[in-house]
Amino acid sequence: MTIHTEPLKSVSDIERTTLMTFLPGRIAAVFGGRRWRSLAPLAVLVVLCLLIAIANPNFIELRNLVRLANSAAVPLTLAMGLTFIILMGSIDLSVEGTLSVSAMVVVLLAANDSNGNDYGWWAVLAAIVAGTAMGFVSGLVQTMLRIPSFMATLGMWFIGLGLSVYMLGGSAIRLNDASIRDLALTRFLGLPLAVWVATGAFLLAAVIQYHTKLGRHILAIGGDEDVAKLSGVNVVRVRVTAFALAGFFFGIAGVLAAAQLGQSHAVIGDGRLFAAVTAVVVGGTALTGGEGGVVNTLIGVLIVTVLANGMILLGISPYIQQTVQGLMIIAAVALSLDRVRLRIVK
Amino acid sequence: MKDRTSLTLSGAVSRRTLMMGATAGMAALAMPKVLRAQEKPTLVTSIRSLSNPYHAVWKTGAEAYAKWAGLEHVTLVSEGNSEKGIADIKAMLAKTGGNMVLNSDPNDTPDARPIVEACAKAGAYVVTQWNKPADLHPKDFNPNYVSHIEFDGIASGKTIAEILFKTIGGKGGIVALGGLISTTAAIERKKGLDAALAANPDIKLLDFQVANWKSTEAFDLMGNLLTRFGDDIKGIWAANDDMGSGALEALRAENLAGKVPIVGVDGIKTAVDAVRTGEFACTVTSDPFWQGGMGLAIGYNAKIGKFDPVKEPPEHREFYGKAVLISHDNVEEYYKTNVDAKPEIDWNDLWGRVTGAIRT
Repeated sequence: MTIHTEPLKSVSDIERTTLMTFLPGRIAAVFGGRRWRSLAPLAVLVVLCLLIAIANPNFIELRNLVRLANSAAVPLTLAMGLTFIILMGSIDLSVEGTLSVSAMVVVLLAANDSNGNDYGWWAVLAAIVAGTAMGFVSGLVQTMLRIPSFMATLGMWFIGLGLSVYMLGGSAIRLNDASIRDLALTRFLGLPLAVWVATGAFLLAAVIQYHTKLGRHILAIGGDEDVAKLSGVNVVRVRVTAFALAGFFFGIAGVLAAAQLGQSHAVIGDGRLFAAVTAVVVGGTALTGGEGGVVNTLIGVLIVTVLANGMILLGISPYIQQTVQGLMIIAAVALSLDRVRLRIVK
Repeated sequence: MKDRTSLTLSGAVSRRTLMMGATAGMAALAMPKVLRAQEKPTLVTSIRSLSNPYHAVWKTGAEAYAKWAGLEHVTLVSEGNSEKGIADIKAMLAKTGGNMVLNSDPNDTPDARPIVEACAKAGAYVVTQWNKPADLHPKDFNPNYVSHIEFDGIASGKTIAEILFKTIGGKGGIVALGGLISTTAAIERKKGLDAALAANPDIKLLDFQVANWKSTEAFDLMGNLLTRFGDDIKGIWAANDDMGSGALEALRAENLAGKVPIVGVDGIKTAVDAVRTGEFACTVTSDPFWQGGMGLAIGYNAKIGKFDPVKEPPEHREFYGKAVLISHDNVEEYYKTNVDAKPEIDWNDLWGRVTGAIRT
C-alpha cells in the first residue's frame, strides 16, 4: 500500500479513445484515480462486513471475530509466501504439496499414533525446514534448469503429494503431542496461538517486503526483469531465495493445519492453492507481478474468509455459494486494478 | 516352465540341454486350455489405490481369504486410471489363460462393462462392487459374471441419523455436512437423512452445508455454523467420517468436543477412536475387509461349482451388503476384533450379509 511502482508500459492517446477502452475509462473516471483504486479491496472488505453485520448481528460478536481470525490463520500464512512469488510475476503451484509434506513431517516426528517418535518442537522445526527445502528446490529447478515456475512448481506439488502419500501409507495419522496441539487449542488474549503465529508471519513478511533489499528486488523483478537485471539485481539469487521463503511460510502453515486438525493425511492441503491465489489476487496483487504486496494480501485473505463466514451466516444455499464466490472475485479484481493501463490482456 | 528358469540360471549350458529345455518350454506353452484349467485358479483383486485406508483394508481381507483357501492372490492397482485398470486385468487374463477369479472395485462406472466382457470371453469368474452401469447385469453374462455388490447409502444415512436423534433425546436442532454434491453416495446418504427427519418432527435441521468429503473444509464450516446457531446445535450429522472428524476438531477448539455428538459413515480409525471416547455417537462401515475377501469367495465358489450362478435368486446376483454399525454399545468389541486383531469372518457364509436386491 505504501509503495507504488508506476507501470512502465505507456499507453498512447489513440488507444485510449478506442471503443474497447472507452467504457473502462469512463468507469475509472467516475471512481477517481489510483489513490481510490488502491483502497478498493479495503472498501470491499468494509462494505462486506457492514452488509453481513446488518443482515445478521451475530457477525460482530466477539466469538465470531475470534473464529474468523482462526480460520484465516492458515490461509494468511500460506498467502504471505505466495505473495512474494506472485509479486515476481511467477506462480507457485506447490502450495498443497509443500503444505502436506510439512504436515506429514511434523506428525510423524512428534508423538503420534503410528510410530514411537516424540521429538516435540524439533518436529516443528524439521517441518519448517522441509517446507523451506521444497521451496529452495523449486527455485533451483526454475533458475538452473530454466523451467517456467508454473511447470517447476507443478512438478514439486506432485512430488510433495507423492512423498506424503508414501510416508503416511495412505491413512490419516493422529497428532498426539499436546504442546503442538496447543497451537490450536490454547488461547492468549482470547485468540488461539495459531492466530498469533499467523500475525507473526504477516509482520515478518511485511518487514521483508518493505524494509529489506530482498523485498525491493522481488518487486523490481516483477516490474521488469530485464531492467532489474541491468540495474545489477542478481535475479537468480533473488528468485531462489524468494521460493525458499515461500516454502518457509508454507511449512509454518503445514504445522498450523496439522495442529488445528489434530491429524495429517496426504490431502490435508486440498483446495488450499486456489484459496491462497484467490486471496492474493482479490487483495489487489497483480498476477503479472510488480504491483501489490503483503498488506493487500492480508485484506484479500480477510475478504475471502469473511465471505465464507458471511454466506453461512446469511444462510445462502451451498448449491450457489461457489457462484457468489466467483462473482466476488471478478468484482474485486475489476475494481482494484487499473485495467485501462493494461495494453494487453491475456 | 520351471526347467527353463533353472537352465538360464545354471550358467554352463550345453546346446543339447538348451534344446531340450526349450522344447519342454514350448510344449508347456502349447498345452491346451483344458489341461491348465485343472490347476488352481488365481485370485485377482483390482482396486483403485493403496493410498487410502479403505482399499488398504480391502487388500488385507483379500489376502486373508486367499490364505484361508490356499490359493495364489494378486492385487492390481489402477491408481485412479481406468485404462490402466482395464489393461492390467486383460494382462492377467492372458497370463492365467482365463483361469482366474476377479473381485473388482471398478475405478469408474463405465469401466465395469469392458472388465466383465473381457472376463466372460476368457472364461474367468468376476464379482464387481460399488460401480457398474445400470443396464449391465450379471444375468446377461452367465455364468461368468457372478455377482455385483453395493451398500445402501440411504440406509446408512438413515441409520446414523436415527442414532444421532436418539442420542440427543429425540428433539432439538442439528446441522448436516454433506459430501460432494454430484456424487451418488452424497445424494443417497442425504436422502436417508431426509427420511429420518420426516419421521422425527421434533428434530430440526438448522442447516445443510457441503464440505466436499474433506475434514479441512468441515473444520472451517463448523466454526461458521457455530456462530450462526451457537448452542442451538445439539448434534452433527456428517456424510462421512473425515468431515465428521473435521467438525470434531472445530468443536474441540471451542471446548465443545464430547458435548455435541457427531455421527458419520465409513468407520475410519479416527472415528472409531472418537466413538470410544464418546465424541462420536456412531459410524457405519461397509467393512472393506469383508468386501475384499467375500468378493473373491463368491467368485471362487461359483468357479469350482459349489453353486451355479444361473440358479441363484436375483438378490444373490445384485445385492446390497449389510453395513456394520459401530456405536457406543459395540465399539470395544469392534476395536478388539477389527483394530487390535484381524477380523474373523466365516468365508463359507457367502450370502449372510445380503440385505436385498439393488433398487433399479
